[in-house]
Amino acid sequence: MQTHLADFIKDTPAGREADAILRSCVHCGFCNATCPTFQLLGDELDGPRGRIYLIKEMLEGQPVTARTQLHLDRCLTCRACESTCPSGVNYHRLYEIGRAVMEQRVPRSLAARATRLLLREALPRRWMFKPAVRLGQLLRPLLPGVLADKVPRPAGARIGGGPQPAAHPRRMVALAGCVQPTLAPNTNAATARVLDRLGIELVEVAGAACCGALRYHLDAREQALDDMRRVIDAWWPELESGRVEGFVMTASGCGGHVREYAALLKHDPAYADKAARIAAMTRDASEVLAAEQPRLLELLRAARAGVGERVAFHSPCTLQHAQKIRGVVEALLTAAGYPLSPVADAHLCCGSAGTYSLTQPVLARQLRDHKLAALHAGSPDLLATANVGCQMHLQSGSTLPVRHWIELIDERLRAAS
Amino acid sequence: MSMPTTAERPFTVDRSLLIRRLREVLPAQALLFEEEDLRPYDCDGLTAFRQLPLLVALPEDEVQVQAILRICHELRAPVVARGAATGLSGGATPHPDGVLVALAKLKKIIRVDPVSRTAVVQPGVRNLAVSEAAAPYGLYYAPDPSSQIACTIGGNVAENSGGVHCLKYGLTVHNVLRVRGLSIEGEIVEFGNAALDAPGYDLLALINGSEGLLALITEVTVKLTPKPELAQVVVASFADVRRAGDAVASIIAAGIIPAGLEMMDRRAILAVEPYANAGYDMDAEALLLCESDGTPEEVAEEIGRMTTVLEKSGAAGIRVSQNEAERLRFWAGRKAAFPAVGRLTPDYLCMDGTIPRKHLADMLEAIATLSGKYALRCANVFHAGDGNLHPLIMYDANQPGELERATAFGAEILELSIHFGGTITGEHGVGIEKIDLMAEQFTLAEIGAFHRLKAAFDEHGLLNPGKGVPTLARCREYTLARVGGEQNPTNPMNAPRR
Amino acid sequence: MDSLIDNWTARINDAAGRGGKLAIRGGGSKTFYGGREQGERLDVGAYRGIVAYEPTELVISARAGTPLVELNATLAEKGQWLAFEPPHFAPTATVGGMLASGLSGPRRQAVGAVRDFVLGAKLLNGLGEVLSFGGQVMKNVAGYDVSRLLAGSLGTLGVLLEVSLKVLPLPLAEKSLRFAIDEGTALQKLNQWGGRPLPISASAWHDGILMLRLSGAAAAVAAAERLLAGEGVDAAEAEAYWRSLREQTHAFFAGDAPLWRLSLPSVAPPQGFGATLIEWGGAQRWLRAGDARALRSAAAKAGGHATLFRGDDALKAAVGVFQPLPAPLAQIHRNLKHAFDPQGVFNPGRMYPDF
Repeated sequence: MQTHLADFIKDTPAGREADAILRSCVHCGFCNATCPTFQLLGDELDGPRGRIYLIKEMLEGQPVTARTQLHLDRCLTCRACESTCPSGVNYHRLYEIGRAVMEQRVPRSLAARATRLLLREALPRRWMFKPAVRLGQLLRPLLPGVLADKVPRPAGARIGGGPQPAAHPRRMVALAGCVQPTLAPNTNAATARVLDRLGIELVEVAGAACCGALRYHLDAREQALDDMRRVIDAWWPELESGRVEGFVMTASGCGGHVREYAALLKHDPAYADKAARIAAMTRDASEVLAAEQPRLLELLRAARAGVGERVAFHSPCTLQHAQKIRGVVEALLTAAGYPLSPVADAHLCCGSAGTYSLTQPVLARQLRDHKLAALHAGSPDLLATANVGCQMHLQSGSTLPVRHWIELIDERLRAAS
Repeated sequence: MSMPTTAERPFTVDRSLLIRRLREVLPAQALLFEEEDLRPYDCDGLTAFRQLPLLVALPEDEVQVQAILRICHELRAPVVARGAATGLSGGATPHPDGVLVALAKLKKIIRVDPVSRTAVVQPGVRNLAVSEAAAPYGLYYAPDPSSQIACTIGGNVAENSGGVHCLKYGLTVHNVLRVRGLSIEGEIVEFGNAALDAPGYDLLALINGSEGLLALITEVTVKLTPKPELAQVVVASFADVRRAGDAVASIIAAGIIPAGLEMMDRRAILAVEPYANAGYDMDAEALLLCESDGTPEEVAEEIGRMTTVLEKSGAAGIRVSQNEAERLRFWAGRKAAFPAVGRLTPDYLCMDGTIPRKHLADMLEAIATLSGKYALRCANVFHAGDGNLHPLIMYDANQPGELERATAFGAEILELSIHFGGTITGEHGVGIEKIDLMAEQFTLAEIGAFHRLKAAFDEHGLLNPGKGVPTLARCREYTLARVGGEQNPTNPMNAPRR
Repeated sequence: MDSLIDNWTARINDAAGRGGKLAIRGGGSKTFYGGREQGERLDVGAYRGIVAYEPTELVISARAGTPLVELNATLAEKGQWLAFEPPHFAPTATVGGMLASGLSGPRRQAVGAVRDFVLGAKLLNGLGEVLSFGGQVMKNVAGYDVSRLLAGSLGTLGVLLEVSLKVLPLPLAEKSLRFAIDEGTALQKLNQWGGRPLPISASAWHDGILMLRLSGAAAAVAAAERLLAGEGVDAAEAEAYWRSLREQTHAFFAGDAPLWRLSLPSVAPPQGFGATLIEWGGAQRWLRAGDARALRSAAAKAGGHATLFRGDDALKAAVGVFQPLPAPLAQIHRNLKHAFDPQGVFNPGRMYPDF
C-alpha cells in the first residue's frame, strides 16, 4: 500500500515501523472475514483493513477526531486478523502505534477518562480489587444487570490456596497475576499440583503480580512498562540463580503479554536484555505439559479415571492468535479422557479482551452470547478455557461451569490418588 | 487507465439534499458522510484506484436498499454496490458523485435445504460461510475463488467468480439458480427461480458477471453440490515452465477433467511457502496441483492416470496428498498466493487474462521477457485447467513511475491474451482497471450493443457508472492513442468483424 | 460465406425499412417450439461448417447452420461430445437451432444445459451489425454474457452466425438401472440420491417405472450400481430408451394432445394432472393434459413455470406458449429486444406475443 507518512512521525522509530507494516498490507480484505467486530457491525471502519486505513490517514497527517477513536476503541486486539493475514501484516504493533498517536490527538471525555483510570488503577492492585469483588458479591442483588454480570459469583468450595511447592530438582516460576488470585485462585494451585506430579516444583515470586497488559491496553504505557519492569526485577534473581527452567503462564492473556516484553522494552537499555531472556523462557502451561507428554500420559493411564465430562473448549485469542498455540490444550484434554464437543467459529473472540467487556459492554455482550451459543451447541457438560478474563466473562452468561483446563487435568490425576 | 474524466460525469447531485433524504430512511449509523469515515471506503482490492464516494450507505435489509435506490433514482445519483470489496478490478471503486451501498450487513443465510440441495442467502454472506453452513448435510457450494474466506456471494454473482475447481464444477453462473434484486427504480426483480430454468430470456446468465451495472442484488439461491467421498491432490514439480505448461495440455488430452488444475511459478512458490508451510518444492521452477475427486476407487484410478501423464511430461517430483489435512495444506498455499506476494512487494497488480491452454508456456516466456523490459518482478499463478492466468506484477507505489510501468506491463500481457485468442478477463471483471482494454477486445458496434443492453435495465446509467464498458468516446480516444489513427488498417476497431 | 451475410444484412435492412418481419429458420426441426412462425422466411442453414476444433482445448466452434449430426460425428471421432445431449427432433437440426431453442436432453440434471456450455457466439443484429460475444476460452467475463443470453432466445435477438461450445470427454462407463416404484417414492428417492455424490447422469419416471443412468469412471459406476441395487438394463435397450426421451419418440410423446412441460424444483410433490413423465431428477415434468391456467398457477406455486411445448396454433394463441412474466421483467424483455432489434424484425411472437 502506498504511504506518505507525515513529518511528525516519519523519521521516528515508531514511524518507520508503522510505515513498514502499512506497506506490507495489500488490502486484500481477508482479515475482515475473521474480525469479530466486522462480523457484528459490517462496517469497513470496524474491521482490521479499515482500522489500518484509519491509522494510515492519521499518520499521514489527516485530521482525526472521535470518529476514528470510536472505531479504534472497538478493536478487541484479539489478533484473529493476524492469523488470517497471508501478507504477514503485524497488525497489533501498528494498532499500538496508532493508539499512542490517537491518545495525544483526540481528548477523551471526563467520564471515559475516569473509567479508564479506575480500571487501570484498581484491577492490577490486589488490595483494591479483592475487597471490591467481595463487596460486589454481597451487593449483587442490588446491582444493575450489566454490572452484576461483571461481578463473579463466589468461587464456592473449590480448593484455594497458593501453590504447594515440593522439593524437586526441576523448578519453574508461575506468575501470580493481578485478578486471577481473587477470581480463580485454584488455577495456579492446580497447575502446581499437576507439575508436582510431573516432578516439577512451581513457585510464585513475591513482587511479580500484574504483567502490565492491563494498563498497556488502557493507554497507560509508562505505568505498564513499570509493571513489566517490576515483574522482571522480581524474576531476575530466580533466572540468574540458574535453578529455574522457565516461567509458566496460566493465563494466556498474561502469557501473550510477557512474550512481548522483548519487543516492548527493546528501547530501554537497562531492561532490553533481561526482557528478551525472560520472554524467551516464557511458556504457556499447555506447552509445559505437552513437553512432558510421555510422563503425563503414563500418569493419566495409571489414574484410570474413565470417561470425563463432555467439554467445550474456548481457546482464548491470546492463546491461539497471539501465542499461536493451537490444538495443544484440546489434545491434552482428549488425552485426559474428556470428550470435546465441536465449537463453530472457534477463531472468534468471546468479547472479554482484557477490559473490553467493561469499556465496550454492548459489543462484548453480543460477542459473549454468540460465543456461548457456539460453545453450548454441542451440549457439553462444562466449558473450559485458558485465560481468567475469558473464564469470568463466559461464566457471567452461562449456567454451565467454566473452568481453567488445567483444573480438569488436575482432577483426572487426583482421581487416582 | 485513468479515472473517469469530467466529461464522463454527467451527474449533478445535490449532496445535502441526498443526505437529508437518505437520513429519513436509514438509521443514523447506516449513513456515512464525514470524510474521515469515507476514506477507508475509497477503494476495493484494487488499491491503485482510489476515489472518495459522495456518501456511504450501510443498509440492513432489502427495504432499506429499496428506499436508497428510489431516492437515488429520483435524484439521479449514481449507485455503486459493494460486498466485501475484495475485487481486483475496481468493480466497487466508489463514484465521486454517488452513493456507495455497502451490503456487508445483509449477511443472513436465510435457508439451507438439504433435500433440494439449495441455499438461499443474502448478498453479504461470505462464500465460505455457505459451504460451512451446508457441511453438516454433506453438501458444499462449489465455486471457490481464492478469496473465498472473505468475498461475498453478491460480489461473486456480480463478477461471475470462478475459483480453482471450475473446470469440473463451473463458475458462479453454473451454480446459481435465482438472483433476487432491485432495479435502479427500486422495483423487485427475480432472475431465474427455484427450478432449473425460467421463462423468457436467460436474464440469470446476464446478471452473472454484470459487475453491478444492471441491478442491485439482495438475495441469491445457490446450488449445493454433494461433497465427493474423497479428494486427493497431486503436486508435481517441474524444472522448467514449458514442461509444466505442456503437462497441462497432456492431462486434458488424456481425457481427464481434473477437479482442479493449478500452476505456480518459482516466485509464487517462494512467496507462499513461508506463510502456508505447504511443503512445496522450493527448487522447482513450476508446480502443478492436480486434483481428483469422487469415490475412493474412482480417485485411485484417476490419480494413477494423472501420475502417469505427469511423469511422462517430465515432472521432477510428484507428491500425492495422503490425507485431508495434507490436501488442504497443499491448497492453502495456492489460495493464499495473491496476498502472500505482499511479503515480497508493497504493491502488486493482478492480471486475469485467459488464453487457450496450448499457449501457456508461450505466455510465460513472454511475461518473463516483459518483466525484463519493464524492470518489474512478476509472480505467476494460473488456473491452468481453464487457461486463466494471474500474473502478479510487483511494484512499489512509493517509487515514482512504478505504477505506470506496472500498468503498461499489465496491458501488454492482456493484449497478448487477445493475440493468443483469449480474453482480457477470465473471472475478475473489467471494472475500472481494464476498461480501456475493452476497446482492444471489442468493436465499436459491440461496445454500442453493450450500452444498449445496459440501457434496457438502467435508462439513466446510474448503476456503477464508469465500470465494465467504456463510453464510445473513450474507446475512440484509447484507440487513437494506441494505434495512431483511425486510418490504421491494423486497428481492429476499424476492421469489420466477421 | 461472407456473401450470405451481406445478403441477409440487405434483407434485414430492407425489412427494417418497411416494417417487414423475418422468420429465421435453420433446419426447421424445432419450428413447432414457441409461438407461430410469422413473416418472410430467412433460411440460414447454408451458413455452415466447423470453424475450429481442438480436442485438447475442449472447445469447438461451428457456424450456426452446421447440422448437429455433423458436429456430433466430428466430436465422437476424438472421444468427445456435447455433454448436455441436445435433442435433434429431426436429422436437419442445426447448431444454431440448438442454441436458439435452448433445449437440453436427459443429462441436463447432471452437467447443465446448453447455456452452461456456450463460450461464445456471433450474431447479426437488427441493425445489420455482426457482433461477437464471449470467445473460445473457458472463462470470460469481458462485457455482458450475451452468448448465454442467446441460448433460448428463439431467434428474437438476431441471426446466430457462429457458436463456440465447451465439449467434454465421453464417459468411460455407463449403466442403466430400473426400479418399479410409484411417483411419490421416485421423487423422494431422486432427491435423496441427488444429495449424495453418486454418478447419476439421467433419470426418468413414468407409469410406475423409474429408470436411472449412471455415467463416469468404471469404478464409480460399479460402486453406485451395487449401492442402488436396481435391476440392470441391457446396454442397447438403455441407449434406445434415453434416445427416445431426448428425441421425444417415446410412446408418451405420441399423439396430438398438447404437450406441457413443467419446470419445477426437483422437490415439488406430484402435481396430479394425469399421466406424467418425470425427468431431470424431478425438475422436468411432462404432461399431456391439463388446463393452462391451472398448470401455470400450480407451477408458479411450486416455484417453477409451465410451457406449452407442443400444441396447435389456436391453443398457443389462446394461452401463450410460455408462462407470462411479472411486469418489471416483461419490461426488461421488451427493452432487451429493442436493444438488439429496434425495428422488431426477427421472429415476432415466437417468445411472447408483444415482441
